[in-house]
Amino acid sequence: MSVIKRNNVSVRGDGDRAMVFAHGFGCDQNMWRLVAPAFEQDFRVVLFDHVGCGQSDLAAYDPERYSQLSGYADDVVEMCRELKISKGVFVGHSVSAMIGALAVLQAPDLFSDLVLIGPSPRYIDDGDYVGGFSEGQIEELLDFLDDNHMGWSAAMGPVIMGNPERPELSAELVDSFCRTDPDIARAFARVTFTSDNRDDLPKVTARTLVVQCKEDVIAQQRVGEYVRDRLPKGELIVIDATGHCPNLSAPDKVIEVIKEFV
Amino acid sequence: MEDLEDLYENASCGYLSLGADGVIVKVNKTLCNWLNADSYDLLGKRFHDLLSVPGKIFHETHFAPLLRMQGYFNEVALDLVSSTGEYIPVLANALERQSEDGNLLFTRVTLFQATGRRKYERELVDARRAAEKAKQDLQALNEGLARRVTEGLVERIRLQRGLLAEQEVARLREQFVAILGHDLRNPLASIVGGLNILSKESQTEKAKRVLALMSSSTERMFSLINDMLDFARLKSGAGIDVEISRTDLKPTLEQVVEEFRSSHPTRAIASDFELPSPVDCDPARIAQLVSNLMGNALTHGAGNKPIKIVACISGDELTITVRNHGVPIPKDIQDRLFQPFFRAGASSGNQGLGLGLYIASEIARSHRGYLEVRSDQEETKFTFTMPASSATPD
Repeated sequence: MSVIKRNNVSVRGDGDRAMVFAHGFGCDQNMWRLVAPAFEQDFRVVLFDHVGCGQSDLAAYDPERYSQLSGYADDVVEMCRELKISKGVFVGHSVSAMIGALAVLQAPDLFSDLVLIGPSPRYIDDGDYVGGFSEGQIEELLDFLDDNHMGWSAAMGPVIMGNPERPELSAELVDSFCRTDPDIARAFARVTFTSDNRDDLPKVTARTLVVQCKEDVIAQQRVGEYVRDRLPKGELIVIDATGHCPNLSAPDKVIEVIKEFV
Repeated sequence: MEDLEDLYENASCGYLSLGADGVIVKVNKTLCNWLNADSYDLLGKRFHDLLSVPGKIFHETHFAPLLRMQGYFNEVALDLVSSTGEYIPVLANALERQSEDGNLLFTRVTLFQATGRRKYERELVDARRAAEKAKQDLQALNEGLARRVTEGLVERIRLQRGLLAEQEVARLREQFVAILGHDLRNPLASIVGGLNILSKESQTEKAKRVLALMSSSTERMFSLINDMLDFARLKSGAGIDVEISRTDLKPTLEQVVEEFRSSHPTRAIASDFELPSPVDCDPARIAQLVSNLMGNALTHGAGNKPIKIVACISGDELTITVRNHGVPIPKDIQDRLFQPFFRAGASSGNQGLGLGLYIASEIARSHRGYLEVRSDQEETKFTFTMPASSATPD
């Protein structure tokens, strides 16, 4: 199984320099649909699905390998080596922000610039550090995820198929939903929300832009500021967008700040 | 006429409208009642503000992005949190209203109370998980069982191989004993022949005594060799060979007793044979049996008390008893007396191989009879019983 197929990698655009987009927990590469095309003129745009998400190869899901974020980072490194990427730009949303940081620590030549959208090095509060959640709340989340898998694969599919207004979305989303394995989603949630990468941040020497939304309940602004403070070459931009997914709720602003940064 | 205002406000489901910026712009009374809040408390808040913490995360990671991507999202399980902190399990449908150019105008959310259904679904998930665990347990159990069966089989094969090897060794040993026994008999027969020739010539008193001792020793050696051969035969599974013929046993028994009297002149041996009719038996083997019993009595009985042999036929049965006085045989030893190589105590060095009683009992068996022992303070009594006539059914 090639890395390209395993991670459902798609490469578009004409630029010499690569820009790799990594999706966060809960979705797949579709979440870049409003952002990525804006860079296809100047960059070789690379989109992919983490193993266990979207249209990646579910058979390649190894619970041991993916029980830590480093397993996902290994995939990013393998994929970029395969694509012969050097000094590229990594754009990581949510948990993929930390996955990108781990990847560049492992292979510093891959990326010279990082864009971290809504990053959090640790979601659970720890002493003075405020991640935003308690351990109990994260455990509650894992159970809660089960509640929403009943409706997903079986009931959602046909309804989406019958959506005549936006037919272009139907097929890929049905696929995407059908491939959401509840056990993998639960495991990905666990590794995401129990990770702690605070001590990795000072080692990241690449230029890094932290993109922070004004009101983000998952990664609060003070967490974004913490990330910036611990990064040797970090800067923070707070954009006027609400929620954890500015890629979808405010794509123009996201495009703007990335363009300015690179 | 239907009152549309009332239909909205007091519907059986909760209604919520969000502006393009995600802020709550309208909410119906039903939802306010569920949340125990006034509408002005809710206006200006965001949808995720009404949700439990996991719901907030789910809203941000799944609900909001997918709603944005496909324009709607149905049947999402969420937990609302009322102003008093109470959880209200609901199912939510959401729909975006977009302008002609695809920009988001507002979002409508419809909420249905689903306590029972959510509970039922949770039970289904739990049941599935329990079933999966049971399946895994069963699989582990099966694997363990298969492994144990394999191990058991291997162990059994190993034991069987060991047993076969041991049986082969035992067979060779018994074969060796049989050959040795036969080969010992020939030179012994020459010695006996030589003694006979010498005893016919004139001798000094000393030579006579020595010759008598030598004769007795050779007889004893013959008897040991015969026991050994019988044993080897028995162990090979062949049983004692007997040649049954209609026999008047009295002369046979008298001869055995005479031999003992002459070889043990100091011992009192009483005999009483009431044998009015012939018996179907092998006389040589019966003589051997009686000889073994008497030898046993002379060895273990009190030296100053007589031993007594009685043979009689009563009904269809021949009974021969040999009694002696002396220390009684303990009960636990009585049970083992007829086993091969059994030797009572360590004191007596001249008891032989410990085969005498074993062979005697085998001779009894080959005559469809049996050997019994009874021992108490008064006396020790061995009783041999067999059918007098081979025609008599067992």
